[in-house]
Amino acid sequence: MKAKSLLIIFIIPLLLGFNSGKKSTPQADTQIALVKKIVKDVTYKKAGQSDWDNAKTGLPLNDGEQVKTGAKSLALILFIDGSGLLRVRENAILNVYGKSGNKKLDDKNTVLTKGTIGFEVNKQEDEEFKFTTPTAVASIRGTEGSLEVDDNNSTVIRLDRGKLDFQSLKGDKKSGSLTEGNTARIDNSGNISITPQSQEDKNKNNSIKNTNTKKVKIKTKLGDIEIEYYSSENK
Amino acid sequence: MNRKKIIIKEVFIFGLFLIFLLNGKTSGQISNIVSSVKFGDAKEKTPLSISAELFTSENISDISIAYKSFGQNEYKKSEMLIAGNTASVTLPADVIQPPYIEYYLVIRTKDGSSQTYPLDIEKGVNPLQIPVSAFSQKDKEIIILSPDDGEMMSEKELLISISFIKAPDIVDIKKTKIFLNNVDVSSSELIAGDLIILSGENLGSKVSPGSKLLKVEVFDKEGNLYHSISRSFETVTAEVAMAVSSRWKYNGYAMGESRSENFGSESVWRNNISAEFNGSIDQWKINGYAYLTSEEKSYLQPYNRYSASIQGGDWLDLKVGDAFPRFPNLIMDGKRVRGFTGAVNLGFINLQVASGETAREVEGTLIEKFTASNAPLGNDIIPINSSKYNGFSFGKVTLGTYNRKILAVRPSFGSGENFQFGLTYLHSKDDKNSIEFGARPQENIVIGTDLMFAFDNQNILFTSQAAVDVYNKDISSGNLTDAQIDSVFGPNGNFNIDPGKVKQARDIIGKFITVNQYIGPWNPQELSSLAAEAALALNYFNNSLRASYIYRGNEYQSFGQSFLRTDVKGLNLVDRFRMFDNKLFVSFGYESLQDNLQKTKIATTTYQTLSASVSIFPRTNFPNITIGYNQYVNNNSLKTSDPTNGQYAVDDVTNRILLQLSYDFFMVVKHNSSLSFTTSTRDDKSLAMTNAKFNSTSLNLNSYWTPSLMSLFGFVYSASDIKGIPFNYFTLTVGGRYRLLQNKLQLSATLSPSFGDFKRQALEFTADYNVLLNLNLMFQSRIYRIPGASTNSIIGLTARVSI
Repeated sequence: MKAKSLLIIFIIPLLLGFNSGKKSTPQADTQIALVKKIVKDVTYKKAGQSDWDNAKTGLPLNDGEQVKTGAKSLALILFIDGSGLLRVRENAILNVYGKSGNKKLDDKNTVLTKGTIGFEVNKQEDEEFKFTTPTAVASIRGTEGSLEVDDNNSTVIRLDRGKLDFQSLKGDKKSGSLTEGNTARIDNSGNISITPQSQEDKNKNNSIKNTNTKKVKIKTKLGDIEIEYYSSENK
Repeated sequence: MNRKKIIIKEVFIFGLFLIFLLNGKTSGQISNIVSSVKFGDAKEKTPLSISAELFTSENISDISIAYKSFGQNEYKKSEMLIAGNTASVTLPADVIQPPYIEYYLVIRTKDGSSQTYPLDIEKGVNPLQIPVSAFSQKDKEIIILSPDDGEMMSEKELLISISFIKAPDIVDIKKTKIFLNNVDVSSSELIAGDLIILSGENLGSKVSPGSKLLKVEVFDKEGNLYHSISRSFETVTAEVAMAVSSRWKYNGYAMGESRSENFGSESVWRNNISAEFNGSIDQWKINGYAYLTSEEKSYLQPYNRYSASIQGGDWLDLKVGDAFPRFPNLIMDGKRVRGFTGAVNLGFINLQVASGETAREVEGTLIEKFTASNAPLGNDIIPINSSKYNGFSFGKVTLGTYNRKILAVRPSFGSGENFQFGLTYLHSKDDKNSIEFGARPQENIVIGTDLMFAFDNQNILFTSQAAVDVYNKDISSGNLTDAQIDSVFGPNGNFNIDPGKVKQARDIIGKFITVNQYIGPWNPQELSSLAAEAALALNYFNNSLRASYIYRGNEYQSFGQSFLRTDVKGLNLVDRFRMFDNKLFVSFGYESLQDNLQKTKIATTTYQTLSASVSIFPRTNFPNITIGYNQYVNNNSLKTSDPTNGQYAVDDVTNRILLQLSYDFFMVVKHNSSLSFTTSTRDDKSLAMTNAKFNSTSLNLNSYWTPSLMSLFGFVYSASDIKGIPFNYFTLTVGGRYRLLQNKLQLSATLSPSFGDFKRQALEFTADYNVLLNLNLMFQSRIYRIPGASTNSIIGLTARVSI
């Protein structure tokens, strides 16, 4: 009897394990995005958890999950409805939010707490795509540019293509529209300035689009160690 | 459906193919110039590359392709780029429309004659068809998130991810099959909610560097194929991926070819080298291309091709060298220009320019000299320099070609998304001093305007263009002199017009074009030099309706557009219904054209075309089928019994039926097959009585036995009868491709004998060896024998280095 029980205990997991060659993961949360590429130090945290886990290529990101990049690191994130791509640069923290239903993703919101992201968002039909920072919220329909939150929580939006509407979350909560080739700065007091992109802004956006990495190979007695990192100085 | 049923179904469908084959009277294409024509996957509104493999480029002056969409009567033409033994062209996206496009090739030889492929198009032989598949709504439901089309990534970075967030509930994600280069890798997939994910880590040894075709087959819950999508990408080593991901990206190749061509007892060596370089940094792209061949001769039009270009995003495009600029097609389209072409597109205002030569000078030859008193009349008798030729002032010559320059400028306003208005000016002139032995140098000016506006995301689209030209047929004598004007105009001249005003007009018009007695048109009030067209397209309720009107006067001429049919006006209507998610296409077309616009002919001919087609693209385990019908009715109302003009009577009706099937199926191994059947009958009631019947059937079957071995089998059967003279033949093609030495060596061989009224045996063998990572050597041999006539061969070696 004991042997039979042991056999059942072994066989059932084996049957379950070999039932199908395809692995399915339980999926209760709303999937929002997918990590397409990581360089060096990229971690993520599930909503409500305190521990950061290492992210891997192909990791699905669910509603409310947080991604963090370390120094010289990079993550490329795709929204699963094909609506956009985010390039998360080094030392950035962001959350992705959204709701799934009626065969689409609604209320897509990327909250950038710190750092810089580049974005390429396809033209939206009736689906909303938002970026939120500590000082601003931007509503997007088909644009390309970058979003930066500096140490003073000021927000800088540099737009290469398309148009977006934004609103300050501080002070008088002023709102405005930004068109391509311009840069908006929203400071911690809610002040807004819109200027044509300077050469520095253009260089910055070009640098953000660049996903080139460098590698360092360290030879040790136990074998070679290879470290791949992203360098913002890459040309 | 169980396996047995599937096999029965496939056998049944294949049987249907055979029934068609056995019952069909058939025909096909024969040519001693073109070996075969290859084309890519024809998808709606996607540019389509077509290349013609040539038995030899010997004696070919140029090759152009004539093509048209369904329901249209008029072919557009484009010059093909000849490189080695291949002529290629990319057809623009706007003509690639379901259910099919029709085309034929026009080959001009160095002796000035021309032939078509298929042969005898002008006698009513049917053109070739390329089926065009339509977009599917399902393409939007199943999203390939990664990789991007054409993306390069390292094996380690490889991520295949498909999103089903927009897929309907009937789709069973777990049944999805994923193939990489026809290898099923589905067992490695990870399903996470609405996502399927395969990473390089999961795939392990299944991925090696090289080009990859990702094919995703999606099934419904009952196991029926719901949709199939594919994408090409490339896996490379980490080092290459790093270089590619750099801001500065580049690729290129250098290639050298040497080949020996033997025609009967004659033998000739030909050599060519070509190189291309592409580089990009951010939005900037540069390209350099050069093709240099030993066939380049100063006494022929150029065979060498070279160009360099720079592109800055969508707003700047500059090119020097050889280019085929596209202006409004009434004015300039498909013509090679060697010089400068460029465009600046700022949206609200844009500028497009082309400047260079369309023909280079080729000196003629003096054959015989005459004095003024004994010179005979003839097109090839021209004045020569008597002081240079011992008092002989006329010569019989082979006429040379003048250097012809062209300038086209088109400013336009509006981005073209919802509105654009353009103005075009074209001036082209032969340099009369560029050669000694030539006749009738010419000059041409065209002024045109074009307008487009669109509403509702271009679901309502109106386009129009109009152009007028002034054409001087002989500028050798230059402008009219004051003395000439005084002698012809005035109270004592032939025309009682104030000579002063004529001189004034000459001085003003002469700033643009040479003014003399050869300038035209002389009847502009009859709109003889006007070309215009307008079209309205409506796209609603899965129905695309397009109505257009064209008018082209009999004297309209643009040196930037050699291929335009003139002296024609009429209406064209095309309606395409899409049903069942683009699985079923029903198309109707009607066109009525008339010539003799300026009453320059004895009678007016009406050309009526009626077209109908049904296409089925089931996207499941069943063939794609297209059935088409065309009727061409040409009539000019003259009776053959008319004793005076009966010889000019035009009265013929051609009926053509087309059936095309293409089917990918699995029977022991995977096969791609296509079958086409065309029959046409022309009933000619004119005195020429060129009654004709053409029937043709062709079958192609590609079988993929192993990842390394592919075989091909095909045949063409043709039966034609022109004025009671039959011409029947059968061409069989068998061949295969085998990869060995870890895919470094690829061997291909094809044997293609023809029997019947056309006899020929053709054998082709190629060996392509990847010597080093970036170096390929290819040996190619072609032998074709025409029994009782000649045995010809081409043997060549090609080396290609890629960077």
